[in-house]
Amino acid sequence: MKKTKKAIALSLTAAIGLSAAGAVMAGAADPVTLSVVTSYGGDDGNRRNFEQAVQEYEDKTGNTVEDGSATSDEEWKAKVLTDYETGSEPDVLFFFSNADADPIIDAGKVVSIEEIRETYPDYATNMKEAMLAAASDGKHYAVPSSGFWENLFVNKTVLEDCGVDMPGTNYTWDQFLEDCQTIKDAGYTPIACSLFEVPHYWFEFCVMNNGSLDSQLTLPAVEADGSLDEAGQKWAAALNDMKELYDRGFFPENTTTATDAETVQLFGDGDAAFLIDGSWKVGYFTENYPDNLEDYAVAYVPAKGDRKATDAIGGISMGYFISRKAYDDPARQKAAVDFVEYLTSDDVLSRFVTTEVTALVNGAKPADLNSLQQSAAEANANLTGIVGAVQDTISSEAKGDLFGNVVAVVTGSMTAEDAVKSAIRINGNPGAADEGATG
Amino acid sequence: MQPTSTIYKKKAPLLVFLIPAFAFLGVYLFYPFIQNVINTFLNIGGLGRSADGANTPFYMNYAELLRDPKLRTALKNTLLLTLCTVVFQVGIALVLALLVDSIHRGARIFRTIYFFPIVISATALGLMFNLIFLYKGGMVNQMLFSLGKLHTETRASGRMVVDWIDWKDKDHFMTTMFLPVIWQYVGFYFVILMTGLSNISEDVFESASLDGAGGWQKVRYITLPLLRNTLCTCLVLAVTGALKVFDLPWVMFGAGMPEDRGWLTGTYMYDQTFNKANIDYGSTIAVLIVVLGVVLSNVSKALFRQTDDY
Repeated sequence: MKKTKKAIALSLTAAIGLSAAGAVMAGAADPVTLSVVTSYGGDDGNRRNFEQAVQEYEDKTGNTVEDGSATSDEEWKAKVLTDYETGSEPDVLFFFSNADADPIIDAGKVVSIEEIRETYPDYATNMKEAMLAAASDGKHYAVPSSGFWENLFVNKTVLEDCGVDMPGTNYTWDQFLEDCQTIKDAGYTPIACSLFEVPHYWFEFCVMNNGSLDSQLTLPAVEADGSLDEAGQKWAAALNDMKELYDRGFFPENTTTATDAETVQLFGDGDAAFLIDGSWKVGYFTENYPDNLEDYAVAYVPAKGDRKATDAIGGISMGYFISRKAYDDPARQKAAVDFVEYLTSDDVLSRFVTTEVTALVNGAKPADLNSLQQSAAEANANLTGIVGAVQDTISSEAKGDLFGNVVAVVTGSMTAEDAVKSAIRINGNPGAADEGATG
Repeated sequence: MQPTSTIYKKKAPLLVFLIPAFAFLGVYLFYPFIQNVINTFLNIGGLGRSADGANTPFYMNYAELLRDPKLRTALKNTLLLTLCTVVFQVGIALVLALLVDSIHRGARIFRTIYFFPIVISATALGLMFNLIFLYKGGMVNQMLFSLGKLHTETRASGRMVVDWIDWKDKDHFMTTMFLPVIWQYVGFYFVILMTGLSNISEDVFESASLDGAGGWQKVRYITLPLLRNTLCTCLVLAVTGALKVFDLPWVMFGAGMPEDRGWLTGTYMYDQTFNKANIDYGSTIAVLIVVLGVVLSNVSKALFRQTDDY
């Protein structure tokens, strides 16, 4: 009897042991849940493309994607960086590959493409090596997605109603001011822009208007005597140009309190004539105003000084990062790599692209362009120069401070010079070290 | 006969129950608070980052508190919100509770309706009020337009221009911010006061009626005195609650809208900490909020002292 009991006990132990071992082995191949954060949230024009690509990835791999995407703004960037700092980062991040990513790269929170290629040699090989953003350590971390351009969107119906000509390749600032006055007198809002939420589009072009394409990325500094250097004066002049537009009533009445969505709607609904925005807005209008697409066109931001109206802001500023935490986890490593490879494959990326720059070796093959996309493609064909946004080269904190002070500048409670000096102080400037910065 | 139970003599079992709660508070409240106070003297450039040494001078952030005009605005707005909360939130809740208590049918429906805003998230409420106060096409502006209360002008082009009211501009933001905050928690105090009212014996009202007391006299001389302790609790909760308001104003107004006039201590602390990455200064504002909370709650406790005398 005792022997029988012993045999049963041994068999049970063996069975339990084998099932446990089996469970562990099966677990290694089990589908995983991947947390992903991108800027394809909210009303992003590529939101639907992203969701479709994620669904295809899930169907293909059996993995599940926890999508934490949101609309990209300064608060979103700060939140993403905070998540990394506090250890609650996503497995895969679609984020800016410029100075904004420095904190997570410097802290070793993301894995370089070079390291990933040691295990996955084909990783990101469909991208042009020269177009991968290099970090300060010389390595590459982000697999680039589609690029962007920023330019002037115009509502043709509003212009026609006001008797204003379509801006051409020689569009000047003086002509623009004249047009704005005509549009305002006709009862329309000349410029759709929320100075509270997205003043950076106008800032970039105003900076270039007070300098040139070549000097766009020169960062300002405070001189030993406390004055601004040439680049700093250029920034201050840009803010003062925006103040002039505000003082003359060319922005919406509620530009200091409106959201970006509200002012874009003004443009979309035919209540405003001009809008500076990015290539992603082409997708937005295509999706949200399919019946009015003929009303919109992409033209050229008015120029003054050395800048030509055909000089624009653009480049590839975002890409997919794989977090160190996910990469070091054997269960999620391959899932994360597969996800990035799928989302940046030639086929999938081509769906995200209409007129944007890409880093694909084979190039994207957009098909069936609508009238707005065609207009953007024509405007892009006339571009004489393109440069990255200078705001992408300063820290998130400095950027937040600078753009947070735009409303104060245009309403006159702060001078443009003080706003620039404040941003320089936060971004780091030896000449401003003793100006009583707060910790 | 000797008592057999020693439960009141042996203190050890009490410790078994007290220690976990104390440990929890120690780890998640006292330790972070002490660390937060220490952080106010350090130079910290980002959440989760190590401090780059101490500030020079070490009290720099506290000196900045005195100089910072945005903080002064935040303090002024927060104190005003606290005052409005006490007057309107508890006041309206009291009136509603008295009215609902005086009806015999449908009291439960009103209880549910008035309590309903509490269960909706502040973010959802913020979005809803954003739509209500939207500049073009918002509910309030559309109603005013329909009633002909907005100035309109027809331009030479034949286009009609409407002077919509910007409910978030410097002339209107206070109302737009305070109204939803006050509205959201009226139901909370209403329910507390209803509970207090239900504890008052009907016999007292009956005898008052026999003595010839009218409705107002019953409220003035019976209900309010007997409700005093409940009211005191509500007032203390309202004062301390108002100091912590953050979510609804943040969703509606973001960073200091309009023109840095709309800060509250909570929103300003969040902005400094999470958006400006000025962690040590954010910590200093947090300390100020705690000090303010302790002082104001003690003042309100002293002012609205509970009593057994009626």
